[in-house]
Amino acid sequence: MASGDAAALTVPLGGVERGIGRWGRDYLSMVHWHLASLRIWLLTITVVQVLSGVGFVLGISLFFSHIPVSAALYVTTGVPVINLVIIGLILGPQLVANQRTSGSYEYMRTLPISRSVTAAAWYTVCLVTGLPAMVVSLVVGQLRYGLPLHISPMIVPAVLLTSFAGTMLGYALAHAISRPMVTQLVSQMLVFIIFGFVPILYPMTQMPAWLDDLNWWFPFRHMAVVMRAALTSSSDPAVSTAYSVIGVWTVIAAGLAGWALGRRP
Amino acid sequence: MSVAVVEVGRRDELPSPGRGLRSGLPYWVGSLRSMLRYDWGEMRPWVAMLIVIQTMMGAGMVIMYGFFYPQITPVRALYIATGAPTLALIPLGLVMVPNAVMMDKLRGTFDYVWSLPVPRSAHAVSTFTLFTVLALPGSALALLVATWRYGIHLSLSPLLIPAVLLCALMSVTVGYALALAIANPLVTNVIVNALIFVVLLFSPIVYPASQLPGWLYDVHQVLPFESMAVVIRAGLTTGLATQVGQSFLVLGAWTAVGCAVTAWVVGRRR
Repeated sequence: MASGDAAALTVPLGGVERGIGRWGRDYLSMVHWHLASLRIWLLTITVVQVLSGVGFVLGISLFFSHIPVSAALYVTTGVPVINLVIIGLILGPQLVANQRTSGSYEYMRTLPISRSVTAAAWYTVCLVTGLPAMVVSLVVGQLRYGLPLHISPMIVPAVLLTSFAGTMLGYALAHAISRPMVTQLVSQMLVFIIFGFVPILYPMTQMPAWLDDLNWWFPFRHMAVVMRAALTSSSDPAVSTAYSVIGVWTVIAAGLAGWALGRRP
Repeated sequence: MSVAVVEVGRRDELPSPGRGLRSGLPYWVGSLRSMLRYDWGEMRPWVAMLIVIQTMMGAGMVIMYGFFYPQITPVRALYIATGAPTLALIPLGLVMVPNAVMMDKLRGTFDYVWSLPVPRSAHAVSTFTLFTVLALPGSALALLVATWRYGIHLSLSPLLIPAVLLCALMSVTVGYALALAIANPLVTNVIVNALIFVVLLFSPIVYPASQLPGWLYDVHQVLPFESMAVVIRAGLTTGLATQVGQSFLVLGAWTAVGCAVTAWVVGRRR
């Protein structure tokens, strides 16, 4: 009787859209989604990041009666690494833990959006939120200590990869661990370790050799190496190794996150 | 089928509300004893974790500060190591105590405890006592790790006992008052986190106060953190700490403020 109407109905499985156009539209809406739902939160985080970054750059001089230029240089070029990774690595998992507790995690997973879009949108948000703090810390460090900074074009891959690795590690942590309590605990431990026990803010020669060797297997020390190489004129032979180690960690973390997201609960 | 209740018990011995109002020092001491048992029972599952976290924070920070220096001179090592007990006490007073108070507020524990027939001051005093005692093992362990790491020799003096007790009591009372007086847990959280950042970076705990710019030096004459480091250092070394008397006064004043704010919040009717 109403055969004309029935023919006009979209058959659920027949109309799946694919291709770059669809991906791009999904990506834009997911970025919008994050920016809109987290707007107060992201603003607060940016302000806190700027304040803590500047605080670190200025506060380190109190540790010395006369701060050596090398110490100031290490802190000023190390703080951007912390600014870039902390949102994806530390706050991302905490956010997902909150979503799991409040139930919006399941809702997000039911959206008809591919995993790569979700990841790419979250990466964009992390990168954009981390950049202002990085720039302000560098400017303040330069003004306060008059450092011999020399920014090369390598800053672009260094920033992109550091932020991406941090985001993917946090992503794996957030999605592979299903218990919010464990996620919180791991991310708080990571903050403590990254600030104090990884040679990001000071040279690796100042820590015991075994701890330095241990750090070689983790990506954070290498992030500081690539960032420092892009911000100063010194040529460190370890840069290519550092890029490779970060790359391997990123691939592992992205794979783990993809597996955790694709698995049916 | 019905059973008539004939015997209702010994009616004559029930205390009437007006007559049995209890007060006086013996009653207060008895209440304190009960509240200590109550608080200890509430805390006991967490005690081991509390001491472990406190030791790890104190010892971890002491080791971590060392990494920031190109050379660790003997004086520098002495400053860092003698800062260890202070670094272990501050997270307890400014993070763990406020967190415990916020949890108790959320669960309504205060409403329950304040409805008990014990003076409210007995509960506050029992909490202060327990946390102050619990603060000691973690601080001692952090100091042990620090002396081992930097290989320094300390000369302990009897002054250490009042110094550590007063520092622990001060951080516990101030943390307790802070969390109790501020109604919104979110605000407490922000203050606590900001304080930790300021304390760990901008307070002369592991370095001499003479390295501070003038205005920050003046600020730390009033804040309690430098005074904590000074009095503990005075108990562990000879000749390194100055203005010890003034530091004791500052700590005493902060303890008094913490107690006063607690008394005000605990005593008012809602």
